[in-house]
Amino acid sequence: MILSVENFSLSYRSGAGVRHALRDVSLAIGAGEVLGLVGESGSGKSSLAWSIMRHLPRTAQESGRLRLGDVDLRGLDAAGLAAIRGRRIGMVFQDPSTALNPTLRLGEQVIEVLMRHRGLSRAEARDAAEEALREVELREPAALMRRFPHEASGGEKQRILIASAFATRPELILFDEPTTALDVITGARILELFARLRERTGVAALYISHDLALVSRVADRVAVLRQGAIVEQGSPGAVFRTPRHPYTRQLVAAVPRPDRRLVTDLPAPERVLAVQGVSVHYARRRLFRPAPPPATQPTSFSIRAGEILGVVGESGSGKSSLARALTGLARFEGRIEALDRAITHPRAMRRDYRRTVQIVFQHPDSSLNPRMRIGEILTRPLRLHGGSLGEIPRLLEEVRLPADYARKYPHQLSGGEKQRVAIARAFAANPALVICDEITAALDVSVQAQVIELLLELRRRHGTAYLFITHDINLIRQIAHRIAVMRAGEMVDLREAAQIGAADAHPYTQALIAASPAPVG
Amino acid sequence: MSASWLLRRLLLVVYTVLVVSVLVFGITQVLPADAAVTLLGENATPEALAALRLRLGLGDPLWLQYARWLGGALTGDFGLSMRTGQPVGPMMLVALSRSLLLAGLALALMLMVAIPLGLWAALRQGRAADLVTGLVSYLGVSLPEFVIATLVVMLFADRLQWLPATGYVPLTEDVADSLAHLALPVLTVSLIMVAHVSRMVRSETIDVLHSDYIRAARLKGLPGRSILLRHTLRNALLPVITIVALDVGYLLGGIIVVEEIFAIPGIGRQLIVAVTARDLPAIQAGAMIMAVTYALASTLADIAYALLDRRIRYD
Repeated sequence: MILSVENFSLSYRSGAGVRHALRDVSLAIGAGEVLGLVGESGSGKSSLAWSIMRHLPRTAQESGRLRLGDVDLRGLDAAGLAAIRGRRIGMVFQDPSTALNPTLRLGEQVIEVLMRHRGLSRAEARDAAEEALREVELREPAALMRRFPHEASGGEKQRILIASAFATRPELILFDEPTTALDVITGARILELFARLRERTGVAALYISHDLALVSRVADRVAVLRQGAIVEQGSPGAVFRTPRHPYTRQLVAAVPRPDRRLVTDLPAPERVLAVQGVSVHYARRRLFRPAPPPATQPTSFSIRAGEILGVVGESGSGKSSLARALTGLARFEGRIEALDRAITHPRAMRRDYRRTVQIVFQHPDSSLNPRMRIGEILTRPLRLHGGSLGEIPRLLEEVRLPADYARKYPHQLSGGEKQRVAIARAFAANPALVICDEITAALDVSVQAQVIELLLELRRRHGTAYLFITHDINLIRQIAHRIAVMRAGEMVDLREAAQIGAADAHPYTQALIAASPAPVG
Repeated sequence: MSASWLLRRLLLVVYTVLVVSVLVFGITQVLPADAAVTLLGENATPEALAALRLRLGLGDPLWLQYARWLGGALTGDFGLSMRTGQPVGPMMLVALSRSLLLAGLALALMLMVAIPLGLWAALRQGRAADLVTGLVSYLGVSLPEFVIATLVVMLFADRLQWLPATGYVPLTEDVADSLAHLALPVLTVSLIMVAHVSRMVRSETIDVLHSDYIRAARLKGLPGRSILLRHTLRNALLPVITIVALDVGYLLGGIIVVEEIFAIPGIGRQLIVAVTARDLPAIQAGAMIMAVTYALASTLADIAYALLDRRIRYD
């Protein structure tokens, strides 16, 4: 056994009492084995990684055993720890842009690890670092090493962190959600790289992720963590096809699968909104510098009543800029046609337009005023758009929240509940079109599934159309009538959802689909 | 940092100086001081006063007087002192060199104390050492210069008799004696700055220590010394540069008080003498020189920041 965790429990003491992070966890990783650890936020998966790395706050209390080979990790002193950390256990972090020192050249941050752990001289370490970067398939490693973190892409930075973890030839590497902060295609490349490195080095790994589908593709065995306890362990195929624990069953059911359509009816023929040649520029040309490129190129499309139009693309592709133009939050060029009018400027969006087109944002934490009760938050749109305050209980009931939530503050609600309030606020105006801007991106899969189900129920009841912006192509293939694909500010594809995988789709669309394969099973 | 950015930054300095020159000239025009009366005394005959006004060009339109004054100022000629009859430009520059010596020594001493102190407090965050340095710092921030100066003089000059209480000896005359005379003023000025700079270093260091990349460096197994010196200190000190640049502004103001207390003939003291004597050319020269010094100091700080933090791209 490379790593064995036996009956390990962890809790944090605080002024408010004791919080249990891990309960009686037992798992083992053999030589060359990859164990996938799946859990939703707060399940304790990161706590396990910190425990293995011996990076725990003073308030932590542990019991049970943690062993690396024949070393008792819990009994290590400072010197013992120095011989383990980075040397026998490596770690790859979630966000490569914050895990690298912003003021130190990239090469330095690999070289220092090699000098420390392989006892190389500076010159030797420089050569070894260059070799390590070549191993992770980076082009021109010597030039990259001279750059600073802000001068490299997210994918390059994650490769550099992977290179420095592998370069010390550890027995075990902990991967803490290494692709979550990357876009879909870059993340897929990182996973392919991981598979090749694994084959070449035979390293054992603990792969932590919230994404059951992803883990099922990289791991030899999967462990499902829920509220600090492991509820199920087994081969990915078995866990996926025949989940035994109810929680696992719920998780598996919540994973979006493109072949399982959730919307079957067709939209009505009449248009609610048409966009003609709309482009967004954030900054203007100034005296000494040229104008930056536009956030979106001129784009045209229309949405019919009750239609779900999906917009997919990576971060920075212009999806949100489009949403900002449609809601008058950004200045735009071109025309928006709605309510039998042509609108060419945000100021021309009168109250009836703003009532008709509503938006729900990605982060409910920043879109709900923390000092207002839920009832007050819902009062605003009702007053503005001529509803009566007596509708608040009905609105809450529609998003399946108890009526007494009107008296609560946003911080008393969970992430999913807050997003329901944001949805209720949008529906308070009785809109014809709701723009959903990555509204489930910050939620766990099981919560995401509930929010999606709620949106579809509201659509059945009110005939609302959605412009659904997301980076999850599997999710959008389940619900959208048509899907638009954006890349670098340009809409490269717009077609029926059923035709999105067709051979004549844009090459970028095909790449996106290839990078988001359906889960095993 | 591009050449065009540097050029624009320097143009901004020129612009600032021009605006200040208008203000300085305008304010001295409003002051109830008639140059002719100041020069000839209260008992001068009206004819003599009129003749002098004509000779000095005081009857000319204001813009012409301003242009004449600015033209002279740009070449270092601020006119003759009404008090001594000597050219004020060279007089003020000599005074400035004394003040810069005092300010430079104070800055150096401050940095040598404040950075280690802030770092130390950050590493002992929440413990007794941190709380004590914090308390002392707040005391330092809240005490005015003259109180600290008095305390310092009472202790080192009066009680211990280690150092002279006041006076100035040029560096060229006797280095040791010169530094001995500068010691107490330098101490006074730097004590006040140590207080807030060390607080700043402390809070920046704590922020950096909690950052992801420091955690990553720890988990890569790097030794503590390397984490502190290579990874933490540099990033924690960057924002301190901005604070130090702002302190140059404080120094210029604070130094006026300190020079007066310790009888150092620096630019602050000259300015006070000029104001009490209604010596308009000297007031103008002093104010302009201080403004230029401040504008240059903050430009230098911006350039230093850009050189040290490569994420900042001025283009």
